[in-house]
Amino acid sequence: MSAPGPLVLVIEDEPQMRRFLRASLTSHGFQVVEASGAKEGTALATSHNPEIVLLDLGLPDADGMALTRELRGWARMPIIVISARGREADKVEALDAGADDYLTKPFGVNELLARIRVALRHAQQARGATETVMEIGPLRLDLGRREVTLDGRELHLTPIEYRLLTLLASHAGKVLTHRQILNEVWGPGHTEQTHYLRVYMAQLRRKIEQDPARPRLLATEPGVGYRFRDRIDPERR
Amino acid sequence: MTDGMGPERPEWAAWSRYPATVALVAAATAAGVFLRGHLAPPDLVMLYLLGIVVVATRFGRGPSLLASALSVLAFDYFFVPPFHTFAVADERYLLTFATMFGAGLLISALASRVRRHQREAGEREQRAAAAELRARTEEMRSSLLSAVSHDLRTPLGAITGAATTLREGDGELDPAQRADLVETICEEAERLERFVVNLLEMTRLEAGALEVKREWVPLEELVGSALTRLEERLEGRPVHAPLPADLPLISVDPVLMGQVFYNLLENAAKHTPPSSPVEISARVAGGSLVVELSDHGPGLPAGAEALVFDKFYRAAPGGTRGAGLGLAICRGIVQAHGGTISAETRPQGGATFRITLPLTGEAPSVPAEPEPA
Repeated sequence: MSAPGPLVLVIEDEPQMRRFLRASLTSHGFQVVEASGAKEGTALATSHNPEIVLLDLGLPDADGMALTRELRGWARMPIIVISARGREADKVEALDAGADDYLTKPFGVNELLARIRVALRHAQQARGATETVMEIGPLRLDLGRREVTLDGRELHLTPIEYRLLTLLASHAGKVLTHRQILNEVWGPGHTEQTHYLRVYMAQLRRKIEQDPARPRLLATEPGVGYRFRDRIDPERR
Repeated sequence: MTDGMGPERPEWAAWSRYPATVALVAAATAAGVFLRGHLAPPDLVMLYLLGIVVVATRFGRGPSLLASALSVLAFDYFFVPPFHTFAVADERYLLTFATMFGAGLLISALASRVRRHQREAGEREQRAAAAELRARTEEMRSSLLSAVSHDLRTPLGAITGAATTLREGDGELDPAQRADLVETICEEAERLERFVVNLLEMTRLEAGALEVKREWVPLEELVGSALTRLEERLEGRPVHAPLPADLPLISVDPVLMGQVFYNLLENAAKHTPPSSPVEISARVAGGSLVVELSDHGPGLPAGAEALVFDKFYRAAPGGTRGAGLGLAICRGIVQAHGGTISAETRPQGGATFRITLPLTGEAPSVPAEPEPA
C-alpha cells in the first residue's frame, strides 16, 4: 500500500461536476472530500484541513469570491478556482482575492492535474526554504549569484528584467495577474501601469525566447497576466 | 424644395415660426425701403410675395396667412401714399391689396399641400424600410436558428452516439474501437465548446454589449498569446512572424484583439494543409497599423472576399469545419476599434487577411533602464 495521496476539498454545487472531479482525482491517487455549498465547504476546510481546495465560483449560498477571501483569511492551502464564467475580469478578481489559479469550464483532466501539481509544489516550496537555484527548461536562475543562463550562455538582464523573470520563474506554472506583478516589481504605486509591464515583457522575450512572437516560456494569459510555462507539466488536456 | 424637409434638418419649432414670419416680412419691408428709389410699387409687391413663398414652404399654413396679412398692411403703411398711415389715397391700390392677399392665400394652400405630400412620402418610405428590416431580421433569425441547431446537434449527436456505444457494447469493443469512440467524444465536446464560445461572443457583439477596454499593448504580445493558445491546433505549421521591433504600442482591447488573431490563425489551421506555413507581417502606413496574415492554402472562393466576414458563411457549403462565426467576430471586433479588415487571394496562391487599425493618441512612455554591459 502506498501512502494516501493529498486530500482535495471540492466545493461545487453541481453533482455532475462533483462526479467527474471525484472519479478523475481518486483515480489519480488523490483523496477527495466534497461540499455542495459554501457553508459546508468552510466547515470541511476547518475540520479536514485539506491540502488543496477546488472552489466553484457559482455557489448557491455564497459568492465564490467572498469565500475565496474568507478561506485565504485563515488558511494557506492553495485554492484553485473553477468557473463557468469565462470573463477575464472574474479571473483577475479571483486571483487578486487570493486564489492560486483558475480553470474555466469545460476543462480536461490533464489540465486540472497539471494545475493541482503546480499549486501543491508551490505550497510546499513556500513552507520550505526558498531555492536559490532554479532550472526550468533551458533556463537556469542562480538567485544567490544573480546569474541567469539560457542553454548555458549567460544572459545580461537589466535590474527590472531580472526581477520580472525571477518573479515569474519562482511561480513557474502559475498565473500571476498584472497587478500582482506590477506590485512586486515596480511597487504598490504602479499597479495600473500595465504598459510598463508589457514593454518589459516584450524586452525579456527578445532575450530569452527563440521567437518572441511565439513564446515558449513566457506565456500571456490574455486580459489576466502572465504565466511562466512549466514544461514539466503538460498544458494540454 | 426638398431641402429643409429632410430628417437631417429639423423643422422649426411651432412657437418660433410666428416671430420668424414677422421678421421675414420686416426684412422684406426693410429691403423695400432701402431700394425704394429703384423699384416700382409692383416690384415691391413681388418682394412681399417672395417672402410669403418662403414662409409658406418652410413654416406652413398659419404663418403664411399671417405673412399675407402683414405684407398687405406693411405695403400699405410704408409704400402707399399717404405714407406711414393705413389710409389709401388712390383706390386702385385696394385691388392691389386684394390681389396680393389672394396670391398669398393661394401660395400658402399650394405650399401646405406640397409639404403634406412630402411628409406622407417620407412616412411611406419609413414604413417600407421598417417592413423590409423586419423581413430581413426574420430571415436572419430563422437561418440563425437552423444553423445553430445544426451546429449544436451535430457534435451532440456524435457524443451521444459514441457514449452510448461505449455503455451498451462494452463486451464487444476492441481497445482500438474504444479509443476511437473516446477520442470522438473529446473532439466533439471541444468543437461544441468552441461553437458555444463563438456564439456567445457573436451575441455580445450584436447586442452592442461589447465593451472595448483599451490598453497600450505591443502587437507581438497579441499575436504571441494567440499562437500559444493555438499551438496544438496549428499542428506544427511553421509560423513566421518577423514583426519589426520598433512598432509602436497600440491602444486596443488586448482580449478582443487577441481573439481576432486567434480566430484568423484558427481559420488558417482549418483551411490549409498541415505543415503549410503561415506568415504574419506588420507595418505602419498612413497613420495606421497594417497587419497581414497570409497562408498557403487554397485561397478564397472567387467573389467571396467580402462574404467570408458574414455570419454563418462557410467556404464549403454543408462543410462541417466551422460554424462560420470566427471571421464575423473578427470583423465586429476590428470595427469596434475603428479599423477595417479585408481578405484577398494572392496571385501566387493562398489567402491574405489584412487588418488596418488607426493609430490614435500617443503611446505613453516607459522609463528606460540602462542596458547592462
